[in-house]
Amino acid sequence: MAYDVKEEGNIATVYLNGEIDMDVTETAKEVILPLVEAKKEVHLNLKDVQYMDSSGISVLIESHQKAMEVGTVVKLKEISKSVLKVIMMAKLEQVLNLD
Amino acid sequence: MNISESKDFPVHTKSLKEVRDFAREIFDQSPIFNSQKDELVLAIAEAAQNIVKHAYKDVSDTKDIMQIKISFQDNELTIGFYDKGKPVNTENIKHRKLDDIKPGGLGTFFIQQIMDEVVFKEATGWHNHLVLTKNFTAR
Repeated sequence: MAYDVKEEGNIATVYLNGEIDMDVTETAKEVILPLVEAKKEVHLNLKDVQYMDSSGISVLIESHQKAMEVGTVVKLKEISKSVLKVIMMAKLEQVLNLD
Repeated sequence: MNISESKDFPVHTKSLKEVRDFAREIFDQSPIFNSQKDELVLAIAEAAQNIVKHAYKDVSDTKDIMQIKISFQDNELTIGFYDKGKPVNTENIKHRKLDDIKPGGLGTFFIQQIMDEVVFKEATGWHNHLVLTKNFTAR
Protein backbone atom coordinates (compact mmCIF):
# COMPACT_ATOMS: atom_id res chain seq x y z
CA MET A 1 0.00 0.00 0.00
CA ALA A 2 1.19 3.48 -0.83
CA TYR A 3 -0.38 6.75 0.22
CA ASP A 4 -0.26 10.46 -0.33
CA VAL A 5 -1.78 13.20 1.81
CA LYS A 6 -2.86 16.59 0.54
CA GLU A 7 -4.18 19.26 2.87
CA GLU A 8 -6.19 22.27 1.88
CA GLY A 9 -7.65 24.37 4.66
CA ASN A 10 -9.31 22.03 7.12
CA ILE A 11 -9.69 19.21 4.58
CA ALA A 12 -7.07 16.48 4.44
CA THR A 13 -7.33 14.11 1.51
CA VAL A 14 -5.59 10.77 1.90
CA TYR A 15 -5.00 8.98 -1.39
CA LEU A 16 -4.59 5.28 -0.70
CA ASN A 17 -3.14 3.03 -3.36
CA GLY A 18 -2.77 -0.73 -3.63
CA GLU A 19 -4.07 -3.56 -1.48
CA ILE A 20 -5.14 -2.99 2.12
CA ASP A 21 -4.83 -6.02 4.36
CA MET A 22 -3.74 -6.81 7.90
CA ASP A 23 -0.11 -6.26 6.96
CA VAL A 24 -0.63 -2.56 6.27
CA THR A 25 -3.50 -1.54 8.54
CA GLU A 26 -1.20 -0.10 11.21
CA THR A 27 0.39 2.15 8.59
CA ALA A 28 -3.04 3.22 7.35
CA LYS A 29 -4.15 4.04 10.90
CA GLU A 30 -0.94 5.98 11.56
CA VAL A 31 -1.72 8.14 8.54
CA ILE A 32 -5.46 8.63 9.04
CA LEU A 33 -6.09 8.80 12.78
CA PRO A 34 -3.78 11.74 13.61
CA LEU A 35 -5.59 13.79 10.93
CA VAL A 36 -8.93 12.86 12.48
CA GLU A 37 -7.66 13.62 15.97
CA ALA A 38 -6.52 17.02 14.69
CA LYS A 39 -10.21 17.51 13.79
CA LYS A 40 -9.52 17.70 10.07
CA GLU A 41 -12.31 16.74 7.71
CA VAL A 42 -10.68 13.66 6.23
CA HIS A 43 -11.40 12.50 2.70
CA LEU A 44 -10.18 8.99 1.94
CA ASN A 45 -9.75 8.60 -1.80
CA LEU A 46 -10.09 4.90 -2.59
CA LYS A 47 -10.07 4.89 -6.39
CA ASP A 48 -6.70 3.14 -6.54
CA VAL A 49 -7.38 0.57 -3.84
CA GLN A 50 -7.75 -2.72 -5.69
CA TYR A 51 -8.35 -4.90 -2.64
CA MET A 52 -9.54 -4.40 0.91
CA ASP A 53 -10.24 -7.11 3.48
CA SER A 54 -11.90 -7.04 6.90
CA SER A 55 -8.80 -5.41 8.41
CA GLY A 56 -9.13 -2.51 6.00
CA ILE A 57 -12.85 -2.23 6.77
CA SER A 58 -11.91 -2.04 10.45
CA VAL A 59 -9.69 0.96 9.71
CA LEU A 60 -12.61 2.67 7.98
CA ILE A 61 -14.91 1.96 10.95
CA GLU A 62 -12.33 3.09 13.51
CA SER A 63 -11.66 6.30 11.57
CA HIS A 64 -15.38 6.99 11.22
CA GLN A 65 -16.05 6.40 14.92
CA LYS A 66 -13.06 8.48 16.01
CA ALA A 67 -14.27 11.31 13.77
CA MET A 68 -17.72 11.25 15.36
CA GLU A 69 -16.08 11.23 18.80
CA VAL A 70 -14.03 14.37 18.12
CA GLY A 71 -16.71 16.13 16.10
CA THR A 72 -15.44 15.84 12.55
CA VAL A 73 -16.12 13.60 9.58
CA VAL A 74 -14.39 11.01 7.41
CA LYS A 75 -15.72 10.82 3.85
CA LEU A 76 -14.96 8.00 1.43
CA LYS A 77 -14.33 9.34 -2.08
CA GLU A 78 -14.15 7.65 -5.49
CA ILE A 79 -14.57 4.21 -3.96
CA SER A 80 -13.29 1.48 -6.27
CA LYS A 81 -15.71 -1.24 -7.31
CA SER A 82 -13.92 -3.94 -5.35
CA VAL A 83 -13.85 -1.91 -2.13
CA LEU A 84 -17.50 -0.94 -2.52
CA LYS A 85 -18.39 -4.61 -2.86
CA VAL A 86 -16.73 -5.36 0.50
CA ILE A 87 -18.34 -2.34 2.20
CA MET A 88 -21.73 -3.54 0.98
CA MET A 89 -21.06 -7.11 2.05
CA ALA A 90 -20.43 -5.72 5.55
CA LYS A 91 -23.66 -3.71 5.22
CA LEU A 92 -21.82 -0.49 6.03
CA GLU A 93 -22.98 1.63 3.11
CA GLN A 94 -25.50 3.38 5.34
CA VAL A 95 -23.04 3.76 8.21
CA LEU A 96 -19.89 5.13 6.59
CA ASN A 97 -19.98 8.41 4.67
CA LEU A 98 -19.83 7.35 1.03
CA ASP A 99 -19.48 10.12 -1.52
CA MET B 1 -11.67 -29.33 -15.48
CA ASN B 2 -10.03 -30.56 -12.30
CA ILE B 3 -7.68 -28.55 -10.10
CA SER B 4 -5.57 -29.70 -7.20
CA GLU B 5 -2.86 -27.36 -6.03
CA SER B 6 -1.30 -26.68 -2.68
CA LYS B 7 1.28 -24.27 -1.38
CA ASP B 8 3.03 -23.58 1.90
CA PHE B 9 3.28 -20.06 3.32
CA PRO B 10 5.18 -18.72 6.33
CA VAL B 11 2.75 -17.82 9.11
CA HIS B 12 3.08 -14.05 8.84
CA THR B 13 0.99 -11.10 7.74
CA LYS B 14 3.48 -10.56 4.93
CA SER B 15 2.31 -13.88 3.42
CA LEU B 16 -1.23 -12.62 2.88
CA LYS B 17 -0.38 -10.99 -0.44
CA GLU B 18 1.25 -14.23 -1.63
CA VAL B 19 -1.84 -16.15 -0.54
CA ARG B 20 -4.02 -13.87 -2.64
CA ASP B 21 -1.70 -14.17 -5.64
CA PHE B 22 -1.75 -17.98 -5.33
CA ALA B 23 -5.56 -17.99 -5.25
CA ARG B 24 -5.87 -15.53 -8.15
CA GLU B 25 -3.57 -17.63 -10.34
CA ILE B 26 -5.73 -20.68 -9.73
CA PHE B 27 -9.03 -18.90 -10.31
CA ASP B 28 -7.65 -17.49 -13.55
CA GLN B 29 -7.46 -21.06 -14.87
CA SER B 30 -11.18 -21.32 -15.56
CA PRO B 31 -13.93 -18.87 -16.54
CA ILE B 32 -16.26 -20.67 -14.14
CA PHE B 33 -14.73 -18.61 -11.31
CA ASN B 34 -14.86 -15.27 -13.15
CA SER B 35 -17.94 -13.76 -11.56
CA GLN B 36 -16.92 -14.74 -8.02
CA LYS B 37 -13.16 -14.57 -8.20
CA ASP B 38 -12.78 -11.49 -5.97
CA GLU B 39 -15.06 -12.91 -3.29
CA LEU B 40 -13.29 -16.28 -3.33
CA VAL B 41 -9.90 -14.59 -3.00
CA LEU B 42 -11.30 -12.56 -0.09
CA ALA B 43 -12.60 -15.70 1.66
CA ILE B 44 -9.23 -17.43 1.29
CA ALA B 45 -7.31 -14.38 2.47
CA GLU B 46 -9.62 -13.96 5.48
CA ALA B 47 -9.14 -17.60 6.49
CA ALA B 48 -5.36 -17.26 6.16
CA GLN B 49 -5.52 -14.05 8.17
CA ASN B 50 -7.42 -15.86 10.91
CA ILE B 51 -4.57 -18.36 11.21
CA VAL B 52 -2.01 -15.56 11.63
CA LYS B 53 -4.25 -13.50 13.90
CA HIS B 54 -5.88 -16.15 16.08
CA ALA B 55 -4.10 -19.53 15.84
CA TYR B 56 -0.77 -17.73 16.26
CA LYS B 57 -1.98 -14.99 18.57
CA ASP B 58 0.88 -13.75 20.80
CA VAL B 59 3.39 -15.84 18.81
CA SER B 60 5.99 -13.72 17.11
CA ASP B 61 8.65 -14.82 14.66
CA THR B 62 7.38 -18.36 14.26
CA LYS B 63 9.06 -20.53 11.65
CA ASP B 64 5.85 -22.49 11.16
CA ILE B 65 4.13 -22.72 7.82
CA MET B 66 0.48 -22.86 6.90
CA GLN B 67 -0.60 -24.91 3.94
CA ILE B 68 -3.42 -24.04 1.59
CA LYS B 69 -4.83 -26.60 -0.79
CA ILE B 70 -7.29 -25.62 -3.51
CA SER B 71 -9.17 -28.35 -5.36
CA PHE B 72 -11.92 -28.28 -7.93
CA GLN B 73 -13.66 -31.44 -8.96
CA ASP B 74 -17.20 -32.28 -10.07
CA ASN B 75 -18.11 -28.60 -9.92
CA GLU B 76 -17.17 -28.38 -6.26
CA LEU B 77 -14.46 -26.04 -5.02
CA THR B 78 -12.74 -27.19 -1.84
CA ILE B 79 -10.17 -25.09 -0.04
CA GLY B 80 -8.22 -26.62 2.82
CA PHE B 81 -6.18 -24.69 5.37
CA TYR B 82 -3.70 -26.49 7.59
CA ASP B 83 -1.76 -25.02 10.48
CA LYS B 84 0.05 -25.99 13.65
CA GLY B 85 -1.09 -23.08 15.75
CA LYS B 86 -3.26 -23.03 18.85
CA PRO B 87 -6.08 -25.56 18.34
CA VAL B 88 -9.27 -23.78 17.42
CA ASN B 89 -12.24 -24.05 19.75
CA THR B 90 -15.04 -24.00 17.20
CA GLU B 91 -17.52 -22.83 19.84
CA ASN B 92 -15.60 -19.55 20.04
CA ILE B 93 -15.87 -18.84 16.34
CA LYS B 94 -18.56 -16.32 15.68
CA HIS B 95 -18.71 -13.08 13.82
CA ARG B 96 -19.97 -9.93 15.48
CA LYS B 97 -23.55 -8.83 14.98
CA LEU B 98 -23.62 -6.61 11.90
CA ASP B 99 -25.58 -3.88 13.65
CA ASP B 100 -22.98 -3.76 16.42
CA ILE B 101 -20.72 -1.45 14.45
CA LYS B 102 -17.14 -1.74 15.64
CA PRO B 103 -13.76 -2.61 14.18
CA GLY B 104 -13.06 -6.35 13.84
CA GLY B 105 -15.11 -9.52 13.73
CA LEU B 106 -16.02 -9.37 10.04
CA GLY B 107 -13.59 -11.89 8.54
CA THR B 108 -15.57 -14.94 9.59
CA PHE B 109 -18.77 -13.26 8.41
CA PHE B 110 -17.27 -12.69 4.97
CA ILE B 111 -16.13 -16.31 4.73
CA GLN B 112 -19.58 -17.58 5.70
CA GLN B 113 -21.27 -15.23 3.25
CA ILE B 114 -19.08 -16.30 0.34
CA MET B 115 -18.75 -20.05 0.88
CA ASP B 116 -21.42 -22.76 1.09
CA GLU B 117 -19.80 -24.68 3.92
CA VAL B 118 -17.18 -23.85 6.54
CA VAL B 119 -16.05 -26.73 8.75
CA PHE B 120 -13.07 -27.81 10.82
CA LYS B 121 -11.88 -31.38 10.28
CA GLU B 122 -9.17 -33.63 11.66
CA ALA B 123 -5.86 -33.78 9.79
CA THR B 124 -2.95 -35.92 10.87
CA GLY B 125 0.14 -33.88 11.60
CA TRP B 126 -1.70 -30.60 11.85
CA HIS B 127 -3.46 -28.82 14.73
CA ASN B 128 -6.16 -27.16 12.66
CA HIS B 129 -7.71 -28.09 9.34
CA LEU B 130 -10.33 -25.70 8.04
CA VAL B 131 -12.27 -26.70 4.95
CA LEU B 132 -14.27 -24.26 2.84
CA THR B 133 -16.47 -25.56 0.06
CA LYS B 134 -18.57 -24.01 -2.67
CA ASN B 135 -20.61 -25.72 -5.31
CA PHE B 136 -20.56 -24.34 -8.85
CA THR B 137 -23.30 -26.49 -10.32
CA ALA B 138 -25.76 -24.24 -12.17
CA ARG B 139 -28.65 -23.54 -9.81
